[in-house]
Amino acid sequence: MTVEVVILAVALIGGLYMAWSIGANDVANAMGTSVGSGALTLGAAIALAAVFEFGGAVLAGSSVTETISRGIIEISLFEPTGPLGEDGPALLAVGMLSALLASAIWLHLATHLGLPVSTTHSIVGSIFGIGIVSFGLSGVAWGSMIRIAMSWVISPLLGGLLSFLSFTAIRRWILRSPDPVAATRRYSPHLVGAVVVVMTLSFIYKVLHNRIEAAPVLFAIVIAAGLGIVAAVLAGALVRNTQPPERMGRYDYVERVFGLLQIATACFVAFAHGANDVSNAVGPVATIVTIHHAGFTNVAAQVGIPFWILVMGGVGIVTGLATFGYKVIATIGRQITEITPSRGFCAEFGAATTVLLASSLGLPISTTHTLVGGVIGIGFAQGIAALNLRMIRNIVNSWLATVPISAAVAAVLFLIARQIVL
Amino acid sequence: MRSILGLFGKSPFGPLTHHAEWVHETVVRIRPLFEAFAAEDWERTEEIYEEISELEHKADMIKNDIRDHLPKSMFMPVDRGDILIFLREQDRIADAVEDLGVLLTMRRTPTPPALRDGLFELVDAVIRTSEAWYETSRELPMLQEASFTGPEVTRVLEQINRVSELELEADDKQAAITKELFEHEEEIGPVSVMLWFNIFRVLGAVANHAENTGDFLRLMLARR
Repeated sequence: MTVEVVILAVALIGGLYMAWSIGANDVANAMGTSVGSGALTLGAAIALAAVFEFGGAVLAGSSVTETISRGIIEISLFEPTGPLGEDGPALLAVGMLSALLASAIWLHLATHLGLPVSTTHSIVGSIFGIGIVSFGLSGVAWGSMIRIAMSWVISPLLGGLLSFLSFTAIRRWILRSPDPVAATRRYSPHLVGAVVVVMTLSFIYKVLHNRIEAAPVLFAIVIAAGLGIVAAVLAGALVRNTQPPERMGRYDYVERVFGLLQIATACFVAFAHGANDVSNAVGPVATIVTIHHAGFTNVAAQVGIPFWILVMGGVGIVTGLATFGYKVIATIGRQITEITPSRGFCAEFGAATTVLLASSLGLPISTTHTLVGGVIGIGFAQGIAALNLRMIRNIVNSWLATVPISAAVAAVLFLIARQIVL
Repeated sequence: MRSILGLFGKSPFGPLTHHAEWVHETVVRIRPLFEAFAAEDWERTEEIYEEISELEHKADMIKNDIRDHLPKSMFMPVDRGDILIFLREQDRIADAVEDLGVLLTMRRTPTPPALRDGLFELVDAVIRTSEAWYETSRELPMLQEASFTGPEVTRVLEQINRVSELELEADDKQAAITKELFEHEEEIGPVSVMLWFNIFRVLGAVANHAENTGDFLRLMLARR
């Protein structure tokens, strides 16, 4: 067995492990709020998560995967014509493998220690480390790296803002109304319409974008608005004749309707999460596969991400979900009792919209941190009983620590592997 | 676990209602306590006092638990200080009931026939005030669900006004019976007068604290 095959095999196993770990741990944040609020049973949450995570990964995972694969370090420096000569492509493959393993090791350790680290920050940090060891500061694609770092600050803020605004609207139009039941019947179809418009727009720009020539803006808006109106009318017909059952409090009725709406946003979150987070597992694998494909003679022969790699990532995530993730979802669902469907709806809507927006810009962001931003946004709109703001500090700390630590671990692994392979 | 669990603090609103339940349990024992005392059944008086004491302790434990889970880093839809001051005042209702128990078990004092009717009128007025407060306190989880806005707030504010009205009635009853007490000061005797004066004062305090609890809830809602 040649070294090349060993590198490829280890990369595939490492990528699958990362995908498994994402499915086992990170999906829980997206789905746990729905289970916790009682909008979905555990079984339904797993089934929907599996379908939409896989769909997101396979249909919409390519642009962020592209960024992880080629956008963080200056991969043109690894061409055979570059400073490393003919060893360039092999070194890049070894580097990406080291980054993948370093990230897996750090995530495993951090999960064990109970630190709220982000898969995204970890893989980006690792690849960044490879760039630094190989060429110093000039090995990093700074333009893209700065965009990514900025998106890490902006995404929780944007998620928070969108959630804040949607909960404020619900509070203003439904909770504050003299008759919350009637107000729910009146305004929930509008919310359904809004969600469908956002989901359709992101689907057009995120999924179809790669398959058809750039969708005309007007066409996209007309389609989205049309579907939104249809959905709103349907929802209106469904909700019109419902009455709160005897002895049911008015807020119980409101929450029951939002429980249905939250099923849609939960799927939306799972889709967005799959689209964004699959790259953390398969981004480095894609680079290695491309190099392997070219017989280790160049680094950028192939354009685009091979479809089967995204499928592999999707399968890994679903496997993680099925083997371990359901336990984590159950635990989170049991413990998040403070979040009701109206709040869960807003948090998920804000977070999913932000994540998909970032994904279409090819920016790898942390889904968990965005969701945390969403929950805090609802807290600021007086929607949540008690929020531990120390969590913000923990997240900032974990972010500041994860990038240098995973970079250092990747660098060390790379230096060792380089000695062995060459 | 790479989870968002750490973000969620323990909600104080359910436990505040829970605390109110134990406090209310002490309040419902005020009437049996005075009945036993008036019947000069000292053993029974002692028993009820011990029950009250135990209930007050349970309320205290919940109070401490709520305080332990409200560090300064906790962000809530209402002011943290307002919640703590509300809790303190609610707890003082049970403290006052316990004080009543202490007063009634201190000295075997016969209840003068002249005070009897007025005494039970005052007791009932105090209990009515306190029950009205209990109804408002039980609305806290619902208020949180409604995000402290809308018809729920209007309804609770009306209930708080009702507590104030009932407290005013209890005040009048207290003034009337205290006057009655001094009218019979010769036959009752100075030591008993002192004891009764204090009993009426502490009974009034139960209603006062109930009213204050309602007022602090109003403050919590008014800052929205």
